[in-house]
Amino acid sequence: MNSRVVQDHKKDDRIDDDLIHATVKLNTLLFALVLAFLFGLAMLALTYISLYRTPEGQYSFLNLLAVFLPGYSVSVQGAWIGMLWGAVIGAVSGVVVYRIYARSIYKQVLDFLESPEVDESEFDRVTMKISGHPLGLALGSLVAVSLVVATNLLVIRGTAGDSHNAALLSNYLPGYTVSFTGSLIGAAELFVVTYLFCLILSGTYNKVVELMKGKRS
Amino acid sequence: MRKNEDADKVVLMLGFARLSVVGMSISIAVVVALFIFMMTAILLLTGDPGDQFMGDNLKKLWVFFPGYTVSMAGSLIGAAYGALFGLIGGFLIALLWNLTHYIYIGLVVIRGLWWRMMAD
Repeated sequence: MNSRVVQDHKKDDRIDDDLIHATVKLNTLLFALVLAFLFGLAMLALTYISLYRTPEGQYSFLNLLAVFLPGYSVSVQGAWIGMLWGAVIGAVSGVVVYRIYARSIYKQVLDFLESPEVDESEFDRVTMKISGHPLGLALGSLVAVSLVVATNLLVIRGTAGDSHNAALLSNYLPGYTVSFTGSLIGAAELFVVTYLFCLILSGTYNKVVELMKGKRS
Repeated sequence: MRKNEDADKVVLMLGFARLSVVGMSISIAVVVALFIFMMTAILLLTGDPGDQFMGDNLKKLWVFFPGYTVSMAGSLIGAAYGALFGLIGGFLIALLWNLTHYIYIGLVVIRGLWWRMMAD
């Protein structure tokens, strides 16, 4: 997959491919670590909050996750199992998202090299810009595939007909049903929605960074 | 036209660029707030009021967002909580991303110094 970072763009002799690959590899590992930590922590915290705030006798909707995360439940033991699952999901998501996002790095380097004026002092304290398009493709693909996998897991288990909670997604994703075809329709819609949210995220982030840079200089 | 050494610098610069903590916090806060607001608003606008399951799971968000209900007022309350959670999440993502890079660079520098010392 590393070679895709370079293959997607016209080769430039000035750029050391090995250096790019090593950088992408390192960042993938670090991003996976960060997301694993945060997802794990979030699962632990949400389960504990749910455990203590859900009135006795009422069903916590987090229990629905048990269908996809074996061993998980809204309980003290389940919170720790959930933390492990969160860490695994976070790590896998981190790898997938960064690897797809990294395909834009070669172009970013080329753009930077072609820019006429670059202040050398910027090299020491550069702030990352987020590219909405590759981020949208990465996150969009991840959530779309997740929806297809989750829905078809219910279909394979034979509980599609009883999956009222999953079917509620049709309120947000018209045409979605707990079936193979429905999952594809839902996945396509979810991809578009996620892509748009990523554009909003990157647009806001880059604007704030620009504003802060303007204030400093 | 820039030279090879510039290209190496640019690759390292982009690879080790820090995430803006303020930018990440604000942008994730905006996205999460918008997401919760839209989830509630869309359900209110398009959901079937006769459906016994409508909003069944969404209204349980009050466990995490006290005061939240599936209503227009609730969508604003949910958006406010979403912004708060987003701020915390964005802050942590940027902080941890920058921290892991600082730790890595620190380790590389220490290793370099160690090998130089051993060579001397």
